[in-house]
Formats: sequence, C-alpha cells, structure tokens
Amino acid sequence: MKTVEKEVGAILAGTISSITQRSIFNRLGGLATTPIQQLTAADRATILSELENSVRLFARSNSSQLIASIAKALSAESGASPGGAGGAGGAGPAVLAAPKKLPIEQEKDIATARLEAWSEAVRIGLSKFASVKVATAVSELARNIVFYAGKGTVELRSLKDDRGVVGLQIVATDQGPGIPAAKLDEIWAGTYKSQRGMGKGLVAVKKLVDEFQLDTRPGVGTTVTCIFRGER
Amino acid sequence: MEQELPIIQIRNCLLVSIQTELHDRLALDLQASLMERVRTVNARGVILDVSAVEVIDSYITRILNDIGKSVRFMGAECYIVGIRPAVAMTLIEMGVELDSVHTALNLDLALERLELL
Repeated sequence: MKTVEKEVGAILAGTISSITQRSIFNRLGGLATTPIQQLTAADRATILSELENSVRLFARSNSSQLIASIAKALSAESGASPGGAGGAGGAGPAVLAAPKKLPIEQEKDIATARLEAWSEAVRIGLSKFASVKVATAVSELARNIVFYAGKGTVELRSLKDDRGVVGLQIVATDQGPGIPAAKLDEIWAGTYKSQRGMGKGLVAVKKLVDEFQLDTRPGVGTTVTCIFRGER
Repeated sequence: MEQELPIIQIRNCLLVSIQTELHDRLALDLQASLMERVRTVNARGVILDVSAVEVIDSYITRILNDIGKSVRFMGAECYIVGIRPAVAMTLIEMGVELDSVHTALNLDLALERLELL
C-alpha cells in the first residue's frame, strides 16, 4: 500500500538522509503511515506545510521542485477525480481540482481563509513569495467581506491552461450593500478613506494580482475575481 | 474570550511580540495600554516585534501606523522589528506605507537606535 512515508521518501531519497527523513516523518505522527488514498484535503495541507518547512531546511537545492513533486504525489493518488467539468469548450484555463469554498462571517474566518489560501498556493507549487502575496490578497478580500458585507464566501481554485501554467483563482463573493459608482471612483483614485480600513484594500489587491475583475451592484452584492499566475 | 498582549519593559523601552491575529478589539486595547504604559514608565520607545506575523495586509499596516502615531504623540518613538522579506516585498507591491513607525531588522538594533535618540 502506498503510504505517505513511502511515496514522499522516494521523492526525498538522495536529497535528504534517511535519518533526517525519519525525524521529519516522526513530526507527522500517524499521518506518515496513512495510505495516500485515505488522506483528506486537510491532511494533505497539514502534511505539505510540515514537509515544506523541513524540505526548505534540509534540502540543499531545488526545494521548491521537491515540494511540488510531493504535492503532486499526495494529490495524484487521492482518488478524487482530476480535472473540472469536462466539455466546457477548451477556451480559458481549466479548473484543476474541486474549488475550495470558504465561508467568511467573522474576523476569525479571515485568518482561516488566509491560511487556506497559503497552503493552496504552496500545494500548487507557487513560490514562497507568491504564496505570501496570495495570502495577503485573500486577507484583504475576506476583511472587506467581514467589514462591509457581514458575510460572504471566498473560493479558491487551482487553474491550468493548455501550456500547463499553474495559477490560482480567487473569487470573493458577498450579498452586501455593493459599492456605489461614486465611491468606486474615489477608491481607484486613492482618495477614499473608510472608517475601519484604509480604503486601500481593493487597490492593494489589484496591484498584487495578475488579473482583477470587480463586479459590484448596489443593493445586490459584490464579486471580486482575481488570478495569480505561477512564476516560471 | 478575553485576550491581552503582554507588554514587556526593557530598560526604558516597551516591547510587544505580536504572535496572534490582530483584530479590531485587540489592536485598540494594545494601543490604549501601550499609551498608558508609555506615560507611567516614561518610555523612550515602543518596539513591536512582528517576526511571527506571516501576512501583513493594509488593515494591519493601518493598525501599526496608528500605534506609531499615538506613541509619537506621547513623545516616544515606535519601532517595528522583524518584518519578513516576503512581507516587505508584498507591502511594496501593494503600495502601502509604514510611514508612522521606524523599522529595524531586529530587536537588538532597535534598542541600539532608541538608546541614541
């Protein structure tokens, strides 16, 4: 049976000594000997974040590559059907895995969303710097939801286009008050100041991401869609 | 759940290590208790260690700037230490400024500079 220990060990062989590997797996506890098919998404995130730190610490080179291979090995065997809805017509990036939908209702959900975004970014192989950017953007969007709409959702989807470029899509949706056109003008001009935030959250997100789309209707709600592309 | 960040005094400086999520209530409490402590101990400086903070967004930046301003109104100076490289680069890309506080690489350097003030 393919356990986490066996599969990851095979990837790390030659890079990290077996003694060091032993101690790394010890830190994973029972997860190390769990068959890969039985891992939940949360397990994979835990394993990856734990392994990421260790690999960066002990591997002399290619740590990002190693982490990407580990992420692949962990998800490839997970029995989940790969790829999104088929036959959606080849245009645009295809959804790699099932999107992760996170409810945002209170301040503590902001931290959760940020962590989830981070581990998702690392899982799909984005660089450490890019992962911090992803987490920061999600933090801004989740904060906007809590502060201005009360509740909403943040959805994370990994993307792949025909050339195999990996990216991450973030969709933040709420049914809040929406942003009136006049206020929107002020926001983009950088002159808007809110009471709680700095009125700079949306501007910051727009600067951080590769693609940004805002759809807001007063009285209906707001949807922000943005995409991070992986650095090659 | 009642939560309060511990404020440590080192000579005539106050040190806070930020290890948890800075939400509204906590940030306001911290600001108030820092100002009170600056007054009672005649602190020359306040040092906020953010080396454990993995993500700083525009909201946290505003909180840090607000604390910096209020400390400055009291006649002391505020240092932010331990900003991670990826965090610094993200702040630059976002175009937000940490202009009401000083920054130093670590606690030692911040203390050294506050001594010279």
